[in-house]
Amino acid sequence: MVLEATMICIDNSEWMRNGDYAPSRFQAQADAVNLICGAKTQSNPENTVGVMTMAGKGVRVLVTPTSDLGKILACMHGLEVGAEANLSAAIQVAQLALKHRQNKRQQQRIIAFIGSPVKYDKKVLETIGKKLKKNNVSLDIVDFGETDDEKPEKLEALVTAVNSSDSSHIVHVPPGENALSDVLISTPIFTGEEGGSGFAASAAAAAATGAAGFEFDVDPNVDPELALALRLSMEEERARQEAIAKKAAEESSGAENKDHASSSNTDSVMAEAEPASNATADDKKDQPKDDDDAHLLQQALAMSMEEGSSGAASVADAAMAEAAVDDQDLALALQMSVQDASISSQSDMSKVFEDRSFVTSILSSLPGVDPNDPSVKDLLASLHGQGEVCISLLFFVEDCYIKILVVLCLCVFLHLLFSFMLKGFVFLLETAKLSYLLWKLNSFTRRQGYGYG
Amino acid sequence: MACLHDHSCEDHNCAADWSLFNHIDVPKVVALNESVAGSAKSVFKPWEQRLDTSGGFLESNEGDPELLVFIPFTSDVKVKSISVVGGPDGTSPSRMRAFINREGIDFSDAQNMQPVQEWELAENLRGVLEYQTRYSRFQGVANLTLHFPDNFGGDATKIYYIGLRGEATQNKRDVVATIVYEIMPNPSDHKTKSETGGGFSHVE
Repeated sequence: MVLEATMICIDNSEWMRNGDYAPSRFQAQADAVNLICGAKTQSNPENTVGVMTMAGKGVRVLVTPTSDLGKILACMHGLEVGAEANLSAAIQVAQLALKHRQNKRQQQRIIAFIGSPVKYDKKVLETIGKKLKKNNVSLDIVDFGETDDEKPEKLEALVTAVNSSDSSHIVHVPPGENALSDVLISTPIFTGEEGGSGFAASAAAAAATGAAGFEFDVDPNVDPELALALRLSMEEERARQEAIAKKAAEESSGAENKDHASSSNTDSVMAEAEPASNATADDKKDQPKDDDDAHLLQQALAMSMEEGSSGAASVADAAMAEAAVDDQDLALALQMSVQDASISSQSDMSKVFEDRSFVTSILSSLPGVDPNDPSVKDLLASLHGQGEVCISLLFFVEDCYIKILVVLCLCVFLHLLFSFMLKGFVFLLETAKLSYLLWKLNSFTRRQGYGYG
Repeated sequence: MACLHDHSCEDHNCAADWSLFNHIDVPKVVALNESVAGSAKSVFKPWEQRLDTSGGFLESNEGDPELLVFIPFTSDVKVKSISVVGGPDGTSPSRMRAFINREGIDFSDAQNMQPVQEWELAENLRGVLEYQTRYSRFQGVANLTLHFPDNFGGDATKIYYIGLRGEATQNKRDVVATIVYEIMPNPSDHKTKSETGGGFSHVE
């Protein structure tokens, strides 16, 4: 909670066009700057952050130290990349900007991103450092981008010259897979001397544990019921997996054991993947489905390698458990989808609907529907294809609320069936068909004089 | 113990005169160009301990004799005189410039600004010398900044003790200093269920 005024010096020289830090060095810097601003203003609302460039059109201050994040984010747009970075002038200008800060009680800090080669020699840098130390300004350096033999040493010398009681730091970030901001999160530049504000510490924890974060990505403090449900269903699923694996191991013998186990694993993986896609569709309907599926597929495959963790399945199970509480037929449909998927990944859902008795059983479970009603029987007889069965279901369900749920379930149904297997085109086709039939329903309903429930 | 007064110290307790020490807000004392961060606070002690260096002393960085000491008070004071005990072998400060009620002075400001008063110092190893102020200019002092631009030729400047003599009034110049402003609502003060547990929090 140190009260601080910070000036961030951005390197927007020609060397920043390089793409060795995804997506480009300059973009990685911009992300890191945003994160730093957020962290600083979070740790103390009276902290101020300013931004300036070291290259491009020249050393200029884009934003004087302010606590307004919006201004800082806005100024990062439309920055041109070019020319050479002028480190000593930049530090002098930063010092000046800090000297004229509004709140004299704030500590002064400069954070410099240095990605281009350093053309000054050590002596000059040390004098710069001493001047900063004399005026009680701390300096943090992010050394990334270009590496030549002397750059790390020079920058270390600079930081040593500035450092008093460990308030200045230097971080060397080699190019690699991790984004610049991810690497910086765990450094003292973010966490500060005391070892963390809430923001920085939690961000560091999230980054450190990777995708897992909290177990099942749900914070037990935020939503204890959901976390509990997820944990229970995970244990359930694990027990089921063990039962399957055990049965598979018992049935076959010798060399076949492995194959069977792996195939049952793949089946269960498919079962996991489909409920997973089911759950994600339930939760986030507006996200691009293809990306979800590809990601889930990878996840499922990875899980089958690990042979045990079934996080996706647990999420699905939890979603299913919640759905069951809400509505019986929804649960029934979901259960059906899981079972069918585990039977064979090539199952054709139209076969299921053609099974008259099954459809009748579904209809009878819906409130407000009498399967012996002659009009129902007539409609059933004239139907073929699952789209029209959907319409029949909707037509006879008087309660609007249930209708919505049924539509939802059937959309999900179609999604997992077609987008998972036939990827897109047929799904669109079915959606078009469905919407046409819905329109037909509306006109039919209106004609019949049925009010909307 | 020689004293500037025309009496011997056994009769009269000199320490009482240097009572402004009690009104110095020691935690908020700041020095620029000190080699050890926080050592400026050790320079303010009772009169009897002025030659006692066990608590540390204020030393400037190697090769740079300039020092700047910022002294805030807990209430407004009137400063009558100042005493400075320096180090041996040319490390004592040779000049002193004083500024009143200015926060956030740094070296470039101090060198360019006209001080309220300026003194030529002598080496004062025993702490017997004191430097009178123009009292009319030192009424109602909420904080005092002392700038020591050079010394007697040593590599660094050492100061063992700074004593202030004067009167304390009960006034406080800066009453609003104790109020906490909320420039931006701090989410941690208004915890809602969804925001506990960390992650990115947005304040619009």
